[in-house]
This record gives sequence, structure tokens and C-alpha cells, in this order.
Amino acid sequence: MEAPAKKIIIMSLFSELRRRNVLKIALLYALASLLIFWIVGGSLIWLGAPDWAGEFVLLVLAIGYPVALIFAWTYEITPQGLKKSLDVDQTQSIVYKTGQKLNAAVAVLAVLGALALVGERLMPTFEFPKVIEPILLAPNYEAPEKDGVPQEIRAVTLDNGLRIIVWPDHDIPNVVMYNFVRAGGRNEYPGITGLSHFFEHMMFNGTSRRAQGEFDKTMEAAGGANNAYTSKDLTVYQDWFPRSALETIFDLESDRLQNLAIDPAVVESERDVVSSERRLRYDNDNFGRLFLEMNATAFIAHPYQFPVIGWSSDIENWTYQDLESYFRTYYAPNNLTMVFTGDVTAEEIFVLAEKYFGPLPAQEAPPAIRTTEPEQLGERRLLVEVDAPTPLLHMTFHAGSAVDPATLPLSILLNILVGGDSSRLHQQFVEQEQIALAVGGFQMEGIDPGLVYLYLTLPPGADTAAVEARLLTELSRVVRDGVTEAELQKARNIMIADYWRSLATIDGKAAAIGHAEVFRGDYQLAFALPDDLAAVTAAEIQQVAASVFHRNRMTVGVLRSPADNEQ
Amino acid sequence: MKAPRLRFTLLASLAMTGAFAAGVTLPDAERIELENGTVLILIENHDVPLIGLEAIVRGGAAADPKDKYGLASLFAGLLEKGAGDRTSAGFAEAAAYVGGELNASVSLESLTISAEFMARDAALMVELVSDMLRRPLLSADEFEKLRDRRINLIKAAKGADPGGLMPSYANAFLFGEHPYGNPADGSESSLANVTHSDLLAYHRDMIGAERLIISVSGDFDAAAMRASLVGAFGDWRPAAGTLTEIAAPIVDDGGRVYLIDKPGATQTYFYIGNIGVARGFSGRADLDLANTVFGGRFTSMLMTELRTKSGLSYSARSVLSRFAQPGTVFIRSFTETSTTVAALDLSLDVLQQLHDTGLDEAMILSARNYIMGQFPPRLETAAQIAGLFAMLEAFGLNASYINDYASDLAAATPESVADIIDQVYPAKDKLVFVILGDAESIRKQVAQYGTITEISISEPRFHP
Repeated sequence: MEAPAKKIIIMSLFSELRRRNVLKIALLYALASLLIFWIVGGSLIWLGAPDWAGEFVLLVLAIGYPVALIFAWTYEITPQGLKKSLDVDQTQSIVYKTGQKLNAAVAVLAVLGALALVGERLMPTFEFPKVIEPILLAPNYEAPEKDGVPQEIRAVTLDNGLRIIVWPDHDIPNVVMYNFVRAGGRNEYPGITGLSHFFEHMMFNGTSRRAQGEFDKTMEAAGGANNAYTSKDLTVYQDWFPRSALETIFDLESDRLQNLAIDPAVVESERDVVSSERRLRYDNDNFGRLFLEMNATAFIAHPYQFPVIGWSSDIENWTYQDLESYFRTYYAPNNLTMVFTGDVTAEEIFVLAEKYFGPLPAQEAPPAIRTTEPEQLGERRLLVEVDAPTPLLHMTFHAGSAVDPATLPLSILLNILVGGDSSRLHQQFVEQEQIALAVGGFQMEGIDPGLVYLYLTLPPGADTAAVEARLLTELSRVVRDGVTEAELQKARNIMIADYWRSLATIDGKAAAIGHAEVFRGDYQLAFALPDDLAAVTAAEIQQVAASVFHRNRMTVGVLRSPADNEQ
Repeated sequence: MKAPRLRFTLLASLAMTGAFAAGVTLPDAERIELENGTVLILIENHDVPLIGLEAIVRGGAAADPKDKYGLASLFAGLLEKGAGDRTSAGFAEAAAYVGGELNASVSLESLTISAEFMARDAALMVELVSDMLRRPLLSADEFEKLRDRRINLIKAAKGADPGGLMPSYANAFLFGEHPYGNPADGSESSLANVTHSDLLAYHRDMIGAERLIISVSGDFDAAAMRASLVGAFGDWRPAAGTLTEIAAPIVDDGGRVYLIDKPGATQTYFYIGNIGVARGFSGRADLDLANTVFGGRFTSMLMTELRTKSGLSYSARSVLSRFAQPGTVFIRSFTETSTTVAALDLSLDVLQQLHDTGLDEAMILSARNYIMGQFPPRLETAAQIAGLFAMLEAFGLNASYINDYASDLAAATPESVADIIDQVYPAKDKLVFVILGDAESIRKQVAQYGTITEISISEPRFHP
């Protein structure tokens, strides 16, 4: 009894389900859900929503399914609008017509879905970036291994070779980003001198997504500021911004690495800007004038001889092809190191980096610099005659690279000789003998062996030869007698205090760990300075002085007025 | 010696909590006014083992006699050349030996000593600063040497980037005899007039406890630092002379050109402007917004036109110098000699555009975000914080100068900004031009901007 009755009930339930279009609704809903999930879920991920967003969409659609079915069962569309099915006079019912419309809708959705599937196949380049699982990256984060390194620092190298280091510091709600590009004067040759620096300018001048000026407008409107500089070894991009602008910065930085546009009209106008910069820093500044010629004379083979700003004729003449090939070669992720310091977590930076920079394709490593500067055989001299109210005397000696063990002792020695008003040469030349108005010096600590550079501003009408002789006497004295323990300790103290000053800001922190990573291969070496300084002995300094302050490493340059020459 | 009594121990901590929507909160400061008038401000901060100190003595180069510009600056320089028991070399050695930095300098309205030392050397720092102010050697020999060197350094600067000398020429020409026209570091000819006895008198008349503000921030214990500073300055004398009030400068009628001839210069450097506003200007927030958009950031109107679009210059800015009385507002740029007129005309067009269009809502928001976003790093180190508190105290500004800034910025409207623009930026026919370059190549062209007063860069002065 029961069984047949049940069957009838089931049968009539099934036919009633069909009559009320519940089955068609079920099919339509399922098809529409698939399409919605495919489109909305994909867009969410593409827009940067977290990965649970897709699951959320799916959940909402799933919850909606029984609701839609119950609704379809309960209500019916009539010419008078929605009515409860039970209230509708079966003879007046238009469920059949509604069913036809539903059939059509199912067909349309099915076709759309098929088209989308085919379309996806036909456009293999269109791919949503893969969803990032932060938890999966975690094991790859490199924590500090050496003693004395702040434990909160993390580093990672993405699959495409991009190196990223993060040092969280939540004192102020700001962030600093440095992007070190291994491209500078040393990567140039005659015809393209100054191209690295020019490229630095072009990196602000528009992409296929953003017109010229948009990069800066977007960044500044979000509260950020930026700058960049080019050296003989590197091109370095810097952003300083409030934490709230973090993702904007990633978007901007990845856009210009991915979609840089090199507009010929913009190139021409930017040539003029760079020429103006050259006139400002070199052509109308006597120090800059002599500096360019000192480098060009001290090096006869290695590209460190070229001015980073470029020779004027090159600034005027490099070509679009030069720029394009330069970008491809040097602005590849495997040639970059990025540092973030400030109000961030390592996790969020690595997730954003994977999302924005992960898609950048790695390129073949840039060609190695083959040229090694040959050994110098005898001193080199040069004279620059221009209008000069006060003559300048510059002197350089060939020295080592950033990783040369002699570099730190030499830095200490420079500090003893020219570091501040209490230094040897300031006290002797400026205060006691008054043969110079100012003395200074620095060491190029670059990728390849560079120079120790000493510079003196002399009083009007000074006897440059006599001052040069005095300078050489003082350098010989260091070679002969070395430095005192007190001088060494003072230099250590100054350098340690400078080290702490540099670490007092998130900008200084970014520069410190970035330079250690880029020039010495390990950011952790930045924190070894106090120990390294303690290890240097006076004897070591004397030894280094003896090997560097040698006539066969020396270039002497004088800048003065032609009139001074005739006197 | 009588122990100094504290007039009041402050709690008026310039509490600036919540001043910045972006999240910068100034630390609490302890302010103490000693009986002799010296103000001490202490802000503890233990981030790194450093201490920053800024000592400001009210009164500066604006008080220099007309024939002795650079007197106050020479005095400041000589403070570094020996004090207390230490000779010049010994004094430099004492600070350097511990890695400390110690500098004295002068601006128009104050003399400032800035020090930054490792925390362990706090006592030495206080000793050196108090020796400088109270017991400077002011040796005659050191004076002669320093004066001659300063004169020659000005000559050297004339062979370096001429941009460095532009403020001296511009202020001298715009302010004329008004004290704000004084070149703070003097000129070749005025320095030659300063004598050793002038410096001794300066110490007696212009330097004293009632003009002193000492602001210290960093890694120290406030009670110990207070005791140390009170011990060092509590029994100091006042200055013998009076501090003269500076009158407000009169706005220039415009149409004047100062042409500084540097033969052979391949680039022309120019300032265009007039008298601006004082430090305490009530429309400061609106003005900062306007100036950010006009010439205060990379995407400013001036940079966009003179650099990005035309390639005429590497840089073009609008700079406001604010003193106790109204200072200056100047457009500053430079360009190749042959494009001098093009760059000047374009600058004037951009100024007109600022007056004509002002700032819309979107631009105000962008400028506000920029100002607020760039603010926190200006107060990141102990030295910066010490400097800010000292500045507020020196200009008699209260906490609202910082406290209300964010809300003032937020309250700005296109109308309020437009009012300030009309009030502060000169109209096209009220401009003073200061132009340095190869006069022979540009003299005729720049005559269109007004009556030319010409001087050679080799002249030993900055005033016409």
C-alpha cells in the first residue's frame, strides 16, 4: 500500500517540479553560478583580493542555491506579477511560457560558458596571476644568521632572481624603499657615456599604462616622495612614503619595470634636462670640472674613467636603440636588489613582491666588465685652466674595491687625515700653515678597484706646487711613521658614532643594509662594522698607506685661472 | 654660588598627542625656565644611543652693523676655535675623539649650536656647549685666521655652483637696508671691517642667559640631564645689550632687476619674488598647500612646466623663507644662457596660472596627503626633535603650531587657498628679479622685466 502511494507521490512531485520550472531554475542557477564564480572570483584575485575572497563567492552562491529552488517552487510568474503557486489558478498559469524563457536563458548561458572556455584557450597570454599562499613562502624567508644582526630582518630571493630584504621598524608610520639596479658608469663605453644616468631620468617618464608625469602624480597624491641617483656602479631608486601608500608603491614600481615606454619626444626633452644638470654640477662648478678630468686621467682603460653624467656629445647623440637594449639588459629582476625598511612586516612585503614583481621575467645576466685597469707606470698630471678665483688641487691614488681587505684600514686612515676639523691635514694645512682653505677626501668603495681621492681648496694666488709638495710630505710621513693609537681610536669612535647616526632613520637603515648587500654580497656585513673597526691595527694602516700612497698610483690635478699661470 | 630655583617645572609639556592624522605623535617634553631666563626643554628617547642638543641664542645676523656684515657669523665660527681650558685644536679634538659632532652657526635671528653625541658622552657634550657660550677663548690669532679664511671661502664659492650665493644677492637686493638684507655670513669687504674687539663686545652684549634656549632629545635620564644643564647654565649672566625689535619689511613695488655678471657662465640662475610671510602667518596651512602645488614638490606646476614639459631646467621651485617678520617668497630656477628669457617668461606664466586657477579639491587633497606623508621622517631623530622644540620656543610659537596643523590642512578649501594665494604670491607687475649669468649675453633681453641694477660677481659685496 505504502510503496505505490509513495511512488505516486514521488512521480507527482517530479512532474510538479517540472511544471513549476524548478528543474530548469536548478540548471540555470548552476550554470550562472559557474560563470559568476569564474568571472567574479577571477577578478577579485586579479584586483588583489585575498584568496578567501573566491571561496566566499562560492559560499554565497551555494547558500543561494536551495533558496532559489524553494523560491521557484513556492512562487510562480503570472501576468499580474509574482504569486504563490498555490494561489494561481492552474488554467491561467503561464508556467509553460516561463519555461520556454528559461530554456532560452539556459542555452544562452551554456553558449557563453563555451565561448569563454574556448576564448581562454585561444588567449593563452591572459592568465590571472596565481593565488599567493603566504604560508607557503614562509620556509624560504632567510632569517639573520650572524651575531649582532637585528633578528627582525628577513630576506628572500624570488624565482626570477629578484632579491628583497626587509627591516621592519615601527617608530614612525612611514616606509622607505631602495631599488638598487646594478647598472652605472662602469657598464658604459664611448658613445653611450651617461646612459645609466639618463635612464634614471627616463624611469620617471611614463609607461604603457601611465602617461609622462603620472608616476609622480600618483605617488605624491598618496603622500609619497621619491628620488634616484646614479653612481659609477649603480642606479638607485628611492621612495619615501606613508604606510598607507604601500600597495600604490608596488603598483608604480612594478609598472615601470614591466611597461616602461620610451617616447622619442620625451627623450629629446629629457636630453635638455640632463644637459642642464650637467651645466649645474660640472660646467659651472670648478670642483666638478676638475673631478671629471681626474677620473678620465687616473683611469686609462677601465670604464670608471667616464663621467657618470656623460660626455656632452654622448648626451646629445645616444639613440633609442641604445636605451631599449639598456633597459632589457639591466632592468631585469635578476639584476635588482630591493630593500624595504619601516612600518611593514616581512610577510606583507614578500606577498606583495611575489604578486607585483613575481611576473617579471628573468633575463640573461648582463655581460661582465672585461676591462681591468692596467698597472700604472709613473705619476699622471693634468691642468685645467678656467676662470678660478681660488685654485684647486686634487690628488688620487689607485686603491681597492669594496671587498678589498685594505678598504677599511684605508677608510680609517682617510678619517685620520681629513675627517673633520681635528684631522691631521685640516689642522696642519688649514689651521697652522694656512696653505689651504679646506681639505677633504673619500674612497670609492665600488664593485671594481677604485681611487682614494684627496681635494684641497687653496687661497687665491696659492703656489700649487708648494702645496702639492707639502701634501706629499705628509703622506710620506704616514708611510714612514704610521698613525698613533690615539688617532686610531678617535677614528674608530667617529666611525662608530656615524654608524649609529645612520641607523637612527629608516632611510639610513635602508642605505646601510642595501650597500652591504650590493657591494659586499651580504647585508649582514653592515652590522659587523664595530667589530671590524676594533680589529684594525695601527700597523695594518701603515702597511696599507705604504702600498697605496705611491707615485705609480698617483694622479695630480690642478685647476686655476690662466692668469695665475702667467704670474 | 646660589642654587638656581626653578621658576616652574613644566608640565606644560607641549603635549602634541594626536596632532597628526597620519600618526606622528610628538613625545612629551619637559620645559623648565630658570631664574636667569634660560629655557630648558628635555625629551627622552632611547631608540639609539645618541643625544641631540640644540642651543639657540636669540638674536643673529640681522643685528650686524651695516659695515660689518658677518660679525655674528664670525663670532659663531670662533666659538669652535677654543673654549674653557681647551685651545682651538684641543677643542676640536675633544668632540671628535668621542665621535661627537658640534657646530655653531648663525641665521638672521639666532645663533645656534647643534651637538650630537653618543649617550655615554652626555657630560662632555654639556661641558663643551657651556664652555662655548660662557667661556669662549675668542683668541686674536684665531680670529685673524678665521676672518681671512672666511673671506677666501667666499671667493672660492664664486668659482663653485653660483646657486649657493644667490640667497645673499637676492636678500641684499630685495630688502636693501632692512636687517633681513644682511648677508648672514658677510661679504668679502664687510668681513674685512670686523675687528677682534667687535667679537669681544659681541660676547658681552649679545650673548647671555635670558636669550638662551637649550633643547635636548635622546638617550638620557631626564632628571640627570636637567641637573647637568642647570649646573652648567643656572648661574649665568644676562647679555649686556638690548635685543632690538626688527620692523616688518615693506613690500617692494616690483619692476626691478638685479643682474649679477659672471662672464662665461653657460647657465643663468634666477630668483623672482617679493616679500613673503612671517613664521607665525595665520594662513600657514593654506599657504603650504598652495606652495606644495606651485613649486614645492616634483610634480609642482613650476617643475612640470620648466622641467618635465619643456626641458628648460633641471629644477624649478618656489621657496618661502619665514622669519619673525615677513621673509621672502621666491621662484628659483636656472637655465642655459640662450633660454634665459624663455624660462623667465614661462615662470611668469605659471605664476599667473596659479593666480588664475588656484587649487581644486583634488589638488588640495593631493597636497595634503603629500605634506602629511612626508612629515614623520622630519621628526625621526633625536636631533630633529630637539631642533623642532627649540624652534617653537625661539619663535614664541605654542603647541597649536603643530597641534592644529593637520586639522588646518584638512579645513582648507579652494576658496580659502585662493585667498591666501592672492595675499602671498605677488602679482606679475610686483616682482623683483635677481639674475646671475653672463651679462653680455642676457643684459638686453632681461631689461624688459624692469630697471636693471648691475654688479660683477667679482665685486667684494652682495648689496648693489
